Amino acid sequence: MVLYNAPTNKMHVDEIVDAHVLVVGSGGAGVRAAIEASRYGGVVMVSKTIAGKGGCTTMAEGGYNAVLRDRDSVDVHREDTLSGGAYLNDPALVDALVREAPERMADLVRWGAVFDVTEAREVAQRPFGGQRFPRTCYAGDRTGHEMIMTLLDRLDATDTHLYQEVSVVDLVRDENGAVAGAIALDRDGDVVLFRSDATVLATGGGTQVYDISTNSAAGTGDGFAMAYRAGAELIDMEMIQFHPTGAVYPYDARGRLVTEAVRGEGGILLNARRERFMKRYDPDRMELSTRDVVARAIATEVLEGRGTGHGGVYLDVTHLPAETIETRLPVMLEQYLAYGVDIRREPMEVAPTAHHIMGGVRITPECRTTIPGLFACGEVTGGVHGANRLGGNALADTQVFGKRAGEFAGKAPARGGRIDDAAIDEKLKVLDAFFEGAISPVDVRKDLKLTMWNQAGIFRSAPDLRTALGHVRRLADKRLCAASTANLLECCTVRNMCTTASLIVRCALLRPENRGAHVRLDADVATEPATSPFSHTYVSLTREGIERREAAA
Amino acid sequence: MKTITLYVSRFDPAVDAEPHFEEYAVQVNEGARVLHALHAVRDEHDPTLAYRYCCGSGQCGSCAVRVDGKPVLACMEEARDGMTVEPLALPVLKDLTVDLEPVIAKIARICPAPDAALPAREEIEAIKPLRDCIECLCCVSACPALQVTDFAGPTVLRQEMRLALDPRDSGDRITDAIEKGLFYCTTCKRCVEVCPKKIDTPGKAIEKLREIANRRGLTLPRHQEVAQLVQETGRSVERTQPTFLEQVPEVIEPDGPVRGEVGFFVGCMFNGRVPRTALDAMEVMKRNGIRVIVPHEQVCCGSPLIRTGQTSFIDDLKKRNIEAFASRGIKTVMTICAGCGATLKNDYETPFEVKDVTEILTEYGIELPSKLDVRATYHDPCHLLRGQGISEQPRTLLRLGVREFVEMPTQCCGAGGGVRSGVPEEAKALGAKRDECVKATGADVVVTVCPFCEFHIADCTDVPVKNLTTILLEGYRKKDAERKGSA
Repeated sequence: MVLYNAPTNKMHVDEIVDAHVLVVGSGGAGVRAAIEASRYGGVVMVSKTIAGKGGCTTMAEGGYNAVLRDRDSVDVHREDTLSGGAYLNDPALVDALVREAPERMADLVRWGAVFDVTEAREVAQRPFGGQRFPRTCYAGDRTGHEMIMTLLDRLDATDTHLYQEVSVVDLVRDENGAVAGAIALDRDGDVVLFRSDATVLATGGGTQVYDISTNSAAGTGDGFAMAYRAGAELIDMEMIQFHPTGAVYPYDARGRLVTEAVRGEGGILLNARRERFMKRYDPDRMELSTRDVVARAIATEVLEGRGTGHGGVYLDVTHLPAETIETRLPVMLEQYLAYGVDIRREPMEVAPTAHHIMGGVRITPECRTTIPGLFACGEVTGGVHGANRLGGNALADTQVFGKRAGEFAGKAPARGGRIDDAAIDEKLKVLDAFFEGAISPVDVRKDLKLTMWNQAGIFRSAPDLRTALGHVRRLADKRLCAASTANLLECCTVRNMCTTASLIVRCALLRPENRGAHVRLDADVATEPATSPFSHTYVSLTREGIERREAAA
Repeated sequence: MKTITLYVSRFDPAVDAEPHFEEYAVQVNEGARVLHALHAVRDEHDPTLAYRYCCGSGQCGSCAVRVDGKPVLACMEEARDGMTVEPLALPVLKDLTVDLEPVIAKIARICPAPDAALPAREEIEAIKPLRDCIECLCCVSACPALQVTDFAGPTVLRQEMRLALDPRDSGDRITDAIEKGLFYCTTCKRCVEVCPKKIDTPGKAIEKLREIANRRGLTLPRHQEVAQLVQETGRSVERTQPTFLEQVPEVIEPDGPVRGEVGFFVGCMFNGRVPRTALDAMEVMKRNGIRVIVPHEQVCCGSPLIRTGQTSFIDDLKKRNIEAFASRGIKTVMTICAGCGATLKNDYETPFEVKDVTEILTEYGIELPSKLDVRATYHDPCHLLRGQGISEQPRTLLRLGVREFVEMPTQCCGAGGGVRSGVPEEAKALGAKRDECVKATGADVVVTVCPFCEFHIADCTDVPVKNLTTILLEGYRKKDAERKGSA
């Protein structure tokens, strides 16, 4: 391969790295994939942050769903997941999830994870919303952090080469159309080209496209956008989970996650009139209904004037013993204390916040995408969670499908196709253009986030969505400006955010029904989740539409 | 929205010889954190400002910086007008980003045995307090031992103990910990103070690792000698002169009416090495109407043993000391030694209340002394400041006793945690740093309340070092002389 030699002031490839398996992303799914792929050798993992500090696994608080007790069963977990997902889930993926979640939990325990255990020396479990058995395993309210620390310990024992603070900005395809690696920027904005036989996309979610989001700064949806540009098909991108309980003040803390474990441990929701309003929305499951139901209930209370002064509702744990709060919810206690609220004595104020993208890259149970050479796992994929994800299923997802992606990518044959210099050249030109741009990416980002929150949020309608799509497309066409080579990444990120946002809105327009997290105020077809004639929405460079189910259940 | 000004350390290795501060005025929301102020600098002034952040909620440890000198998480610390923002005290890459990777690489990984099974509940519960670490490296930035030794850092030792507690781990954590500087920690607890998760690394990791090392016969020889001395004599200091206890009766009555009564826990340093200072303190108590009861059968509090992990006969010491005061019905026990005070407060369960002399004197209120015509600075003993949370009382008293009081930055003098005896070159290097700080204040005298600090700093500086009670006594003597002169 010849290095791209352009005139001196143009971007060029500074370094080339060859791998058998390239893993993009260092969250729970990416690290698990790298561990598994390392059994086949030649693994390179690229992390846009220092490994362990990026992504949302580190921030995941509540837990990991796995069937561990005789009184529970994978059939019940399967049914809970399908029912919670409004039967939009891909049944084969759900089957893998519920069957393998316990084995992957056992891996973590064997590798040193410090999960809470019972007196009887079993991994402790607590109830989470939408599940008929308390099957959510946890490490206090820092479950994801515990997992990522354990996974990094294990990764260190493999010969995976780790590139930290190197950000993949695009996938590269060979002459046969197979994904052949990726192009990335390091901390200084120098270009690294990774070439691989198989590439695992594990870039996580992207609800940072919304103004109010629980995601880390890394949750900008890059994987959705890169896969789309590479030609992969994505499904159900309209399915955005709004977590019911995000912080509402101070202004800069809006959206910060208040874990479902608060309700799992007995926290209750009250409106400004101190009514336990969930009795009007789901009298059986109350606060532990599914997230889509609770989020809409809270949003409705606020919209109808029964919210607090800060535009939220109360989430109260003051009736719980202080010791329970201190030991089971220490992160919540600490975060609220930092903002001057002692949750042992006063209620939290919460409102919905964009949390998780259920949709994503279409995969098979072997984590193959619709383009050769590209595997995907974790939140960047679609189909596992259907129209609404159960709390505790995401961490399980990262491990089950991380392992699968790593395994099948590791087993992939050597790739024969040549990478065309012109293809690389084209990607470098995109970077060059950012030096000629005129608009600050900061301004575009702000505008995009507000547009998505206001016009493609919890309650949707075709006119709003069309307005949003038009505006997102205008933003995507802006010529972004990089202030230095180190700022190229911000331009790439904002470009990806615009792409991801447009995929969400396009799919939202494609689904005419109310289903799980997707609510169309102008829905002209009334459907029941189990019998809906509609299945996945899909979108790619070449086609878009909504699938119809042949025979409704 | 409000406008605040902040001063941000900027450094681009390609251009700058050294870092410099830039001033920025930015608009932030009420309740904004330091991170949001940095975002505002980037968005409104300079998009090239380099700083790390990710989760924004105190869980990933990316965004640690020093604000007004103290390591904090930028996403949790509230932004304030006039603050300085600097990188952690680690090699700077650019602006506020530092090279974290070499330190993180020293944090040990678990080596699970092939047959590793789920630990029992009590094993998990023991590990959990050491497991919250988010590797932000605030502790590494703040640790004084790291400034003068190749100590690997508090969190690195924290991890060794986390692994030592895990039945699944097959590594040799004690050998590892010793290589990484187990005996370099002065137990100053600065790491706990700056830890966003408040992990008690000295108490829950360092001292416990030293305990295991002790059981394997790996305690430093000098520390073993101290333990032997305590076992044989009940004291950690050899008798070289008449001790304090030999010079005082069991009850020391005040000069005037009795305003209060305390038991006095002397401690080995005051009893054996600097009894003069303790005698001065008794004069101050007498002058202020406080009866002091001194049980003569009291022994070493055990601090030098606990700090160095030699705990085999510690329960006997505790029992004897508690009995000595409890049997006399004493309700309040006073300490003047910060180390003894912290030990009685934190490592004992006592049927009586324990208070530092500065707490007693400020609570009762003291007769005003004549101010000594000196400029004085104050050294915070670690075991008083962080071990007992006492910083205001000694300053209040000192201001009454001297013409001028000047602050100096707080830092461990190097005497604690068995470092003065066990790793004297480290203690000396930290002492030299104290000397620099003292000199920078231009003070005529350094005042402190801990005999270990007093003794050690005196070794490291040519500026006189005195106990706070000695200053007060000199003030009373000056007052008496002035009265006599005017009479």
